[in-house]
Amino acid sequence: MNATAIKKQVELALADRFSESLQPVERRPPETLPTGVRELDVLLEGFPRAAITEIHGASSSGRTSVLLSMLALSTIREESCALIDCSDTFDPASASKAGVDFNCLLWVRCRSKVEHAFKACDLLLHGGGFGVVVLNLGDVPAKIVRRIITPWWFRFRRAIENTPTALIVITPEASVRSCAALVLELHNEATVWSRPMPFVSENGNRAFTERTRGTTSHLSLVTPVAPRADGSGYSQFLHRWKIRVTTNRSIKFAGVTGSFEARLP
Amino acid sequence: MFACIYGRSVSETVPSGAEKEEPSSPLVDLAFSFSPLVEKTSEDTVVFDISGQNLLFGIPNKSAADGSSTDETQVALRLAREISRQAGRLNLKVNVAIAASPDAAIHAARAFKGSTVIPAGEETSRLGALSIKRLDHSLAGVEEKRAEEILETFTFWGVRTFSDLADLPLAGVAERLGQEGLRLKRLAEGTTERPLNLVRPPIGFEQSLEIEHPISELEPLSFILSRLLNQICANLNEYALATNELKLCLRTEEAERDQGPSSVTEAPSSLHERSITLPVPMRDPKTFLRLLLLDIETRPPQAPISAVSITAQPVKPHARQKGLFIPLAPEPEKLEITLARLAKLVGPDRVGSLEIVDTHRVDVFRMTKFRLPRRSGRNVRKDVAHASPAWPVIGFRIFRPAWRAEVQTAGGQPRRIDARGAQARVRGRILCAAGPWRASGDWWRPDVWARDEWDVAVTDSTGEKTEVLCRIYRDLISGEWFLAGIYD
Repeated sequence: MNATAIKKQVELALADRFSESLQPVERRPPETLPTGVRELDVLLEGFPRAAITEIHGASSSGRTSVLLSMLALSTIREESCALIDCSDTFDPASASKAGVDFNCLLWVRCRSKVEHAFKACDLLLHGGGFGVVVLNLGDVPAKIVRRIITPWWFRFRRAIENTPTALIVITPEASVRSCAALVLELHNEATVWSRPMPFVSENGNRAFTERTRGTTSHLSLVTPVAPRADGSGYSQFLHRWKIRVTTNRSIKFAGVTGSFEARLP
Repeated sequence: MFACIYGRSVSETVPSGAEKEEPSSPLVDLAFSFSPLVEKTSEDTVVFDISGQNLLFGIPNKSAADGSSTDETQVALRLAREISRQAGRLNLKVNVAIAASPDAAIHAARAFKGSTVIPAGEETSRLGALSIKRLDHSLAGVEEKRAEEILETFTFWGVRTFSDLADLPLAGVAERLGQEGLRLKRLAEGTTERPLNLVRPPIGFEQSLEIEHPISELEPLSFILSRLLNQICANLNEYALATNELKLCLRTEEAERDQGPSSVTEAPSSLHERSITLPVPMRDPKTFLRLLLLDIETRPPQAPISAVSITAQPVKPHARQKGLFIPLAPEPEKLEITLARLAKLVGPDRVGSLEIVDTHRVDVFRMTKFRLPRRSGRNVRKDVAHASPAWPVIGFRIFRPAWRAEVQTAGGQPRRIDARGAQARVRGRILCAAGPWRASGDWWRPDVWARDEWDVAVTDSTGEKTEVLCRIYRDLISGEWFLAGIYD
């Protein structure tokens, strides 16, 4: 009699007494972290906790917009967040406009030293207690990102599994590979501009800059006028994203594409 | 056996009312140098238990021990003289008395000058000649008004001295004066037995150690720090306190050579002094040790260490209510260690929370120490619903410092850009430009700034020919072009 048959026989014998214990444990869906980007939240319900999420794309592809939106929502919920800023490119002004609460945000500036960024990330993940840890390698050259050894990602994945921490990694190109539970590839599909205006106000106050009406295809990136009810007064980028999800997680989507818009406040 | 020190000049020097607030006084300190069981009877009187110290001072534990009473008296006299000698060093004029009962010792010290030893059983004969007015009724727990009445009665009876009172029949005193009379009679006989009302020794929240051979490495220093911190934390634990500030003072060998082996505070300029402020009160020696070691590693002293001193500021411990629905936050102890490690890794000024400064100047902020936010208890779900924008705000990645750029213009409009940073480059034709927006400020300061900003879309010919959206500006003071950052 082989082992499978013996196992089945034992289970049948004990089924009356320990029926619940012998049932396979139902896998719970991963807890998610809302991003604040409606299109992504509708599809994914947010980024998974206890896992690595990678957002990669070229410059101006919308990576920072997604990041700020997610940080704003997390800090409003009074969750402690940490941002490891490898190239020291985090802009407090735009983060403040996005609604990020700086009291809940720990900012680590690494002077463009990738090794320091990884060590800092390791310290924060093993210290525990942060709801969101962001490793921002967005301005690190792709050739350096390609040299990052995989054991770092395995180590990070091991450190956060069974914790409520979500690790978000921003890179110029895919780097985390199989260790990421969710990979978001972003492209800048289109940019909507206003008509260029060589207008300079006397005191430099942007409130004096006027938006040219009647333009159909372009809005200014920096527009001071109040938005219309339909939101058309805003400058905007149209970002297209492509999602890849590793199969060992119970998120259903793979290879889905979609788009969202980011606008000036 | 009990010894009593009566300070003849103490009551003149110590202000009245200080007794209750400050248990420590020169007499108490002197008593603590002989015994841990000390009672501060009054401002000028201290009594302490000297039994059980026969190995130190040669006093037999019991008066009726195998040695003769004459030897015992000689040893007690030596001890009394030693106490007087120590008091002389402190410039204290004292009377010292040793007796089998604390109250007998107190009466003897107050009555007789110099050193007095009363062997057990001889209390009545030695104290008998004292006036009844010297009887301290407070030692017998008799109220002042009642004591005055009893003393008046004694005067009527012709009782003038301690021996007169001791000779009165017990039953007669009890019948006429009650329990108070009995207690006063026993007090006069010198046979009272009572426990001492002990003074607690001064709390040691400061620990220091002189090192014989100066230490130049961290590992041996960590053992010394660990020992001192363990003692401090044990004291804190005993008093159910914690600390939110640790002060470390390391005296270096150079300082000692320059200043001589004087006290630590005399050469502040040559000392290595550090202060660690904690976000919440703690009393975990391991956490303190890690924090101190990380701090020393970050800012090491310049010479080998010859003395270590640690002071903890005692405060009430932090009471924390945990809840199921409180948002996630790191443990304060762990967070403090993590922050110290990060500060060591990237520099203390590059870790923390940021605070935007109220100015029009671009990219001005202040780094502050990251502290766990206090939970407001507001309806977070409601706030999230209000704060969720209909669309995400465009992010911006700012370059510090801004990349110097070469910009070709035509008709006042930028047409081509070539900007180079430390690790990357943006170069190409400008497809679209919006601006300029003039910004300036701080004209009253030497570092006045003025610039014209443009938002441009560049076809980046260095990469995959993608469109990069940048913010560039021309410095109106120097006339140079810079790339401020990239919209992302």
